[in-house]
Amino acid sequence: MASQYTPETLQKISELLTKNPEYYTVWNYRRQVLRHEFTQAASSDSAEAAADRITTLIKNDLLFLMPLLRSFPKCYWIWNYRLWLLDEAKRLLPLSISRRIWEEELALVGKMLRLDSRNFHGWGYRRVVVDTLETLTSEEQGESMAQAEFEYAKKMIGTNLSNFSAWHYRTKLIQRLLNEKSATDAERRKMLNDGQTMAPNLSQSERLDYVRQEIEEIQDMLDGAEDCKYIYQALIDCTLLASKIQGTMSSDDQQKVLSWISELKKMDPLRRGRWLDFERSLCA
Amino acid sequence: MSPVSGAGQSDQYLCVQKHVEYIKNLDSRRDELEYWLTEHLRLNGVYWGLTALHLLGCPQALPREDTINFVLSCQRENGGFGAAPGHDAHMLYTVSAVQILVMLDAVGELEKRGLGGKQKVGSFIAGLQDEKTGSFMGDEWGELDTRFLYGAFNALSLLGLLDTVDVPKAVAYIQECENLDGGYGIHPGAESHSGQVFTCVGALAIAGRLDLINKDRLGGWLSERQVDNGGFNGRPEKLEDACYSWWVGASLAMIDKLHWINGDKLAAFILRCQDPENGGFGDRPGNMVDVFHTHFALAGLSLLGYDGVEEVDPVYCMPKAITTKCLSK
Ligand SMILES: [Zn+2]
Repeated sequence: MASQYTPETLQKISELLTKNPEYYTVWNYRRQVLRHEFTQAASSDSAEAAADRITTLIKNDLLFLMPLLRSFPKCYWIWNYRLWLLDEAKRLLPLSISRRIWEEELALVGKMLRLDSRNFHGWGYRRVVVDTLETLTSEEQGESMAQAEFEYAKKMIGTNLSNFSAWHYRTKLIQRLLNEKSATDAERRKMLNDGQTMAPNLSQSERLDYVRQEIEEIQDMLDGAEDCKYIYQALIDCTLLASKIQGTMSSDDQQKVLSWISELKKMDPLRRGRWLDFERSLCA
Repeated sequence: MSPVSGAGQSDQYLCVQKHVEYIKNLDSRRDELEYWLTEHLRLNGVYWGLTALHLLGCPQALPREDTINFVLSCQRENGGFGAAPGHDAHMLYTVSAVQILVMLDAVGELEKRGLGGKQKVGSFIAGLQDEKTGSFMGDEWGELDTRFLYGAFNALSLLGLLDTVDVPKAVAYIQECENLDGGYGIHPGAESHSGQVFTCVGALAIAGRLDLINKDRLGGWLSERQVDNGGFNGRPEKLEDACYSWWVGASLAMIDKLHWINGDKLAAFILRCQDPENGGFGDRPGNMVDVFHTHFALAGLSLLGYDGVEEVDPVYCMPKAITTKCLSK
């Protein structure tokens, strides 16, 4: 059957996959059929005609996947196949055409994430699409999309504050932006004010000031929210960070940390073992 | 461990015999549509069922010779294994094949009846390592995923062939997947997920590089996966699921932090997921059972040292007695 790469074969394959997209061997067979058609297209009269035919083949196949993705959004093999198809576009088509195809993919991911902003796979997929788009440019070292993606993450957080995926994406982008911009200290601090990471090149006393200020702010949050364990954890983390920058922990700080741990033991009995270990390590 | 609070209700005890019957009967349902719709999981299914039977103390419940024949019938010319006869070779099924053969003490059959012995299987796996990144693909078409890297390490080390791949390069790749929260994602830069944490920690354990892990930070993130009803979720704000008892629990066990969660409450949650009438476990209490969740639920109970369940190896997800014997060869 391996030699039958006809439109009828493709039709049969499509029917099979529509019934059961988990048949990964059938997806592989579809790849072989497509590769065969690409080769035929490549022998067209002109390079332009070849690109046209290949573009049509790829676009049609991307369209074929859409209803399947809607019905089986979690099926790994469909996504895997889709990425292969997009990579083929990158491999076989002139830059301007493949770039357009990948840009359309980014728009599609955006639409997906609007419908389900916590879609873990959607966020991972977005990163892959952005990574590729950054390489699909005439610039020698690629073109960074970090700033645009940072704005996107901020926008998504704006619509839903508890979107962990968007927060994660944003944290990663802050680090990248800081590196890329080799920003001035003032620029870095401005980003840190709404980010959560420590910039690498603040001076030691600036870092300590920053952390102490953070501790004060968090302590204010405790007022009226004494049963929120994340606040205690943040206080402990920041105090430990301050001690690390100072090179030592004052006995005052140690007492504070121990008192926060005993609150945690009370309000977080599931993880009692963790807090006991922590307490012991501080007293050792 | 004694039966947990709420004892007296039958679903608070492990219904061993029911589960054994459930697994044994899986293969006799060939006339049902569902059996054929899950053909793409067949070799995985045998691994899940066989491991579960071992953990339940009934390793002989599946006919040994038939099982070996089935495994060998899934091998392809390139040395890898497909999900079922006629399916293309893929990392996921090749790993299951190796694990099954090890559990049946039948790796030697690869020499006698397989294609080119264990070397051929090893070269299929080693051929999937990506030269540029050190990570692994699932097959010739596939993308990179730390799942495949872990699978490669798992199977190759069981075959004694780990030295045929670039271990340090793969280890460096895993480190790139580590996040600030201590967890690991599917690619460098991707959000932490318990399933991916398990594969990365497991691969580091096999490589002998657990020292690279920030255990306090990772243990903290993992222990936060336990929710009030005792079950684990896969990542923040998601629903609990019996299979995460394994992904999260085994990761905690590998970094010696299993005591950072409440084991009694986890065991009680897992037991509530079993079907005490017909056997098997579902993802949550009251949901349909399947062999995947049955296997991981039992493995989770084993991590907790639950009475009547054999000890599981948190690195390989196989009976500890078997991996110890295999790896000491
Ligand atoms: Zn599950």
